[in-house]
Amino acid sequence: MSEATVDAGPDDPRKAGKFVYIAAVVLLCAWVLVPLYFLLINTLSSPEAVNAFPKRFVPEFDLGSLTFFAGFEGMLVALKNSILVAAITMVMSITIGAPAGYALSRFDFKGKGLFRLLILLTRAFPLPLLALPLAVMFIRTGLDDTVFGLALVHTTLAIPFAVLITFSLFSGIPIELEEAAWTLGCTRLTAFTKVVFPLILPGITASAIFAFVISWNEVFAAAVLTIENRTLTAFLLQNLDTSPLHLKFAGGFILVVPALIFIFAVRKYLFAMWGIANR
Amino acid sequence: MRIKAKMAGVASGAALLVAASVAQADVLFWSTQAKPVEEAQSMRENVLAGHGDAVDYQPNDGGPWLTRLNAELQAGDGTIGVLGALHGDFSAMNPDDLVDLSDMGVGSASETFNNLAMLGTDSAQYIPWMQASYIMAANKKALEHLPEGADIDALTYDQLIEWSANVMEATGEAKFGFPAGPKGLKHRFFQGYLYPSYTDGVVRTFASDAAVTAWETFLELWAVTNPGSTNFSFLQEQLLSEEVWIAFDHTSRLANAFNERPDDFVAFPAPAGPTGRGFMPVIAGVGIPRTAPDMEASKALVAYMLSPETQIATLRATNFFPVVDVALPDDLPPAVQAAGGAVAKMSASPDANPGLLPAGLGAKGGDFNRVFVDTFERIVLAGQPIRAVLDDQKVALAEIMNETGAPCWAPDAPSDGACPVE
Repeated sequence: MSEATVDAGPDDPRKAGKFVYIAAVVLLCAWVLVPLYFLLINTLSSPEAVNAFPKRFVPEFDLGSLTFFAGFEGMLVALKNSILVAAITMVMSITIGAPAGYALSRFDFKGKGLFRLLILLTRAFPLPLLALPLAVMFIRTGLDDTVFGLALVHTTLAIPFAVLITFSLFSGIPIELEEAAWTLGCTRLTAFTKVVFPLILPGITASAIFAFVISWNEVFAAAVLTIENRTLTAFLLQNLDTSPLHLKFAGGFILVVPALIFIFAVRKYLFAMWGIANR
Repeated sequence: MRIKAKMAGVASGAALLVAASVAQADVLFWSTQAKPVEEAQSMRENVLAGHGDAVDYQPNDGGPWLTRLNAELQAGDGTIGVLGALHGDFSAMNPDDLVDLSDMGVGSASETFNNLAMLGTDSAQYIPWMQASYIMAANKKALEHLPEGADIDALTYDQLIEWSANVMEATGEAKFGFPAGPKGLKHRFFQGYLYPSYTDGVVRTFASDAAVTAWETFLELWAVTNPGSTNFSFLQEQLLSEEVWIAFDHTSRLANAFNERPDDFVAFPAPAGPTGRGFMPVIAGVGIPRTAPDMEASKALVAYMLSPETQIATLRATNFFPVVDVALPDDLPPAVQAAGGAVAKMSASPDANPGLLPAGLGAKGGDFNRVFVDTFERIVLAGQPIRAVLDDQKVALAEIMNETGAPCWAPDAPSDGACPVE
């Protein structure tokens, strides 16, 4: 066998396959990394270098743009609000979404198919349409301009993903596992927490990431429903599109970094889902 | 169990932090202007810091700005103290939702502006706050290609086309830039510059024979225009990157080019056509919604915005010019000096034909702009025959005018009742 591979020469289909595989991996990595790299370079460049062409490939470590944002009033408060809203959105969308996903996969009830469809409906209406009545209601109920109120809206947006992701995960776990746990002295609840929950943790992480990203990126509701307690996206993104190029890059960088840090922090739970954890 | 405990911890921590967020009692300045981060920062640090009360300056996109305002008006309970917006934003509102400001005794030095600010009522619904205009800017490298005998401060549209063609011949690239991007202000060019310069009107003359000539001229200009223009919204970027050498745009959208490299660019008046040098002012105003939480504080802030010192500080922060009579200091930023000079030359030129902002259109202002943008897209981008497109769009325009009953504004001749499309 080994001789055959040596003799096969450059036309070996396996080699070609490997080449395609590596090329695809490189391309996919570049797809993600090159824009991030350019974002970093331009963030660390002076305005002249940002406007110059051709673009540089090495940052010149000019901290002017970042220093500007360091002195930008309200940035840190906005960052804190963003993290808070995203965290509450994550917790709420999973506390509500996971039981719904469990029910969908384990129980048969009337209108189950319709329910699965309806759950997507919260994404069917554009926020600019919903924002006005929502804002009126929030002002009347006192939820207006609170982190919790905004998190409620974001939770609504994130729930479909939480439900559908956990639904498919629960469906992938044989009911026999749970039944075995019941026969060994578990109640329905403890069978869930001790057997099923650890198995679906990666899926929970995935829906948590979805919830986080949805909340982190949402601008319109955040801009309308919060005033003093603005999120970073509402605070910065609206103002960036009309700002000079070097500040656009720096602002974009500031918006991207916390999300990247979060995804890196939870990545090991996410990878576990694809069976490559602990290797 | 460990996970459960962790999650409970996160939840309770989050709840605590929510409870800890405290409301403040600053005057909320809800604005669509001075939105770029540098301008917003400068508004906060250099303009509003001088006011006695603390001001929370929040610049927004038009959508959230209006949605939030409408929500507060509907709920009858507001946090917004002062509104800052363009004339068009105010004219789209119901005047009843704005507090009557006539008794404040402040206003612009220009009666035209003060009349516009009444929004068709007989009292001031907002107070003019600052003004700007659209001008031309060029890279100094382009100057050597000026057509023979052309004076840069008194260009005609034909000379502009010839100039751009010369540059194109010399460099091999089309280097005239036009703000036709999604956020570009192209409709103002047609309403305030091209139409007045060629037809001495905007609405009445929309589909006239002179308008056909105007669009034919614009097609000639488009032939020597950078094809990337449909992506350009802030020509300062393309001037700085030198993709474009000659540009038309809003003064504050050219400001960075002059401020970053003052020695490389010149500002000059818009070109003239057969019926004069058409140009248009931009007016932003400050108003108070009827739901403002502290009316006295709001009025104090409006009065502060109109004081001469604040007006000059605002000029430095935003590149928008004062609306009250003030002596301008000598140490203004390069962009302000350049733009100020160009605007002064433009309005003082013997063939000046100043137009006004569309007035009396109310909520239809956006549709009015749409007519011009559609006409541009059909004639220039889709290459449809000019006469047919104008006759077609004329119907849409007449419908808007009849529905709103808006009378003609300069340079159109005055009308009784709705301005007719002839």
